[in-house]
Amino acid sequence: MTFKILAAVILGIITGYFYFPSFMVQHIGLLIDVGLCLLLLFVGIDIGMQGNILTKIKKMGFKVLLVPLMVAIGSIAGAITAGIFINLPFNEAGAIGAGFGWYSLSAIELSKHSAQLGTLAFITNVIREIIALITIPLIAKYVGNYEAIAPAGATAMDTTLPIISKSTDGSIAMVSFITGVVLSSMVPILVPLIMSLGGI
Amino acid sequence: MNILLYLLILILGAIIGLKGKLKGNIKNRIATVQNLALLFLLFIMGVKIGLEKEILLSLNTIGFQGLILALFSIIFSVLGVKLVSATILKKNKEVEVNDL
Repeated sequence: MTFKILAAVILGIITGYFYFPSFMVQHIGLLIDVGLCLLLLFVGIDIGMQGNILTKIKKMGFKVLLVPLMVAIGSIAGAITAGIFINLPFNEAGAIGAGFGWYSLSAIELSKHSAQLGTLAFITNVIREIIALITIPLIAKYVGNYEAIAPAGATAMDTTLPIISKSTDGSIAMVSFITGVVLSSMVPILVPLIMSLGGI
Repeated sequence: MNILLYLLILILGAIIGLKGKLKGNIKNRIATVQNLALLFLLFIMGVKIGLEKEILLSLNTIGFQGLILALFSIIFSVLGVKLVSATILKKNKEVEVNDL
């Protein structure tokens, strides 16, 4: 899938660079909107099919929700702080941070604002996933099990879950899954919301 | 406006997924359509990037910025969880003791 994702983006870049019909350009926004809605419906179905997540949270105790909450705050605050150094407006930096490592959705949403911002969101969140894959076992060993979920962000429910599970134990894997579901549900809401704060 | 729409669609999807009792066959088809929708959107995003040639020229800068953003997000997330992990750990130990 990773290969297909990269192939789709590169194929798109080549198409756009060489021969994208200019009369289509004005319809790109609409295409993205329709595609996003379709994608979100499937993401919702995916989340629903995981069974009643509320029962799982109740079993673990509501305190486990502190993990996704702190990851969300940390990701957004961290990105805004980074934005100060690289001269990026706080709403753009914060919105990229609110991608929580889910590079496809945050990048597509932000590419509606500008292709440049979409590219940055894509690259940032791809790098986040790569760093997560490398550092999760180290963080589990030297910092702590719950902390090992943090780099994963929204991917804690799928792509990075096997590594978290291997580096920690079954109950942490469950917390990781819950964290991923909660963060994934927040991405489509938080990214446009934080982005819109720039107008104030 | 968009945000409300997104939220409604997510909830609608979740209800379908939760109540629909979707069988294996349909599940597979959903996964296929989902992947196609995702790949199509990424293709369109690529088209937007390709249309703005200056982005391709500044990929080095964007890559560096992305690295800084990702690093700060991860470090702050780990520190954030570290602040609360002791609290959660205590709670889970209590549960284990009660289970015995």
